[in-house]
Amino acid sequence: MVHLSSLLLKKYHGGYVVLRLALAGHKQANRPFYRIVAAYNKRARDGKYIEQLGTYDPLPNIYNEKLVSFNFDRIKYWIGCGAHPTKPVAKLLGLAGFFPLHPMTITEAERQRAQTQLIATGTEEGLQEEQKEAEV
Amino acid sequence: MAAALQVTRLLLAPRSAVLVAVRGRKSRTDPVAKSKEDRIKGPPPVDPVEMVVLRERFTEYHSTVRALRLEFKEGVLRKKYEEETGSLAEERARQEAEEHRALMDFNNQENLRILELRMSRIQMEQEEAERKQVEAAIQREQEQQEFIKEKEREIMKLQEDAKNFITLENLDQRIEEALDNPKNYNFAIDKEGRVVKQTTLQ
Repeated sequence: MVHLSSLLLKKYHGGYVVLRLALAGHKQANRPFYRIVAAYNKRARDGKYIEQLGTYDPLPNIYNEKLVSFNFDRIKYWIGCGAHPTKPVAKLLGLAGFFPLHPMTITEAERQRAQTQLIATGTEEGLQEEQKEAEV
Repeated sequence: MAAALQVTRLLLAPRSAVLVAVRGRKSRTDPVAKSKEDRIKGPPPVDPVEMVVLRERFTEYHSTVRALRLEFKEGVLRKKYEEETGSLAEERARQEAEEHRALMDFNNQENLRILELRMSRIQMEQEEAERKQVEAAIQREQEQQEFIKEKEREIMKLQEDAKNFITLENLDQRIEEALDNPKNYNFAIDKEGRVVKQTTLQ
């Protein structure tokens, strides 16, 4: 992996800053809640971070929405200072429109679509077979 | 593909208790399970058409993201530059210098004022001390004088008493006198000072 360590950011044990999801410690089983956070790479996932830049709630709410928030100003600053977003953060930013859409999002969507079509054609064929059997 | 199939199966199937695979159930030294003895793990299946498309998409994505990153970097540098050497920075520096000068002047004024007060106070205290010293000297002189006077008085008293002393020449005369004049000390006195010479003892 290429470390684009920048001159603007002070070195910290040879590590670098990442923008990643950290579990907000609500200590409730089966109810996760993530914070989008700028932290040093070597820190624990839920450990001390430099700055919080947003939130992500993975469970959909009563209107079937998954809520995400971003502090775009500070995200711009950190990316300008040489921070790397992780894959899920990059995907979320792509869906938000701040970044271009992540290729894996598109590929996953295409795969999902192919799967649903396959199942739909499979059920249609199954129904057609049943009809033929009924006729026969 | 298989994962997507499983996901769709889960979505369509009725919800039941799902066993979550807990990572790390076996330690290093545990043997392989019998059902998995002959399993040969290979790389995941890759669709070549999809891979080509994916690779293209990724190169595009990476270049876009790099461009964005450089833009943001430029923005950050520009902000820093403006902070340090912008149009407002000079004004702020000038204002701060002025403030500093004003405060220093104020401080000097205060120092002078307090210095004057202090000098006057010290002078007063010096005068007080001198006055006290003089007074103390006078007091000491007076005490000395009194002491001398006291001693002189005592000497005079002693001289006076010396006239009534019994010496070798007066001895016989005094004895004669004492024997001739017997003194009677048997008297009573009450609180108001009235002497009573008549007593029961006789």
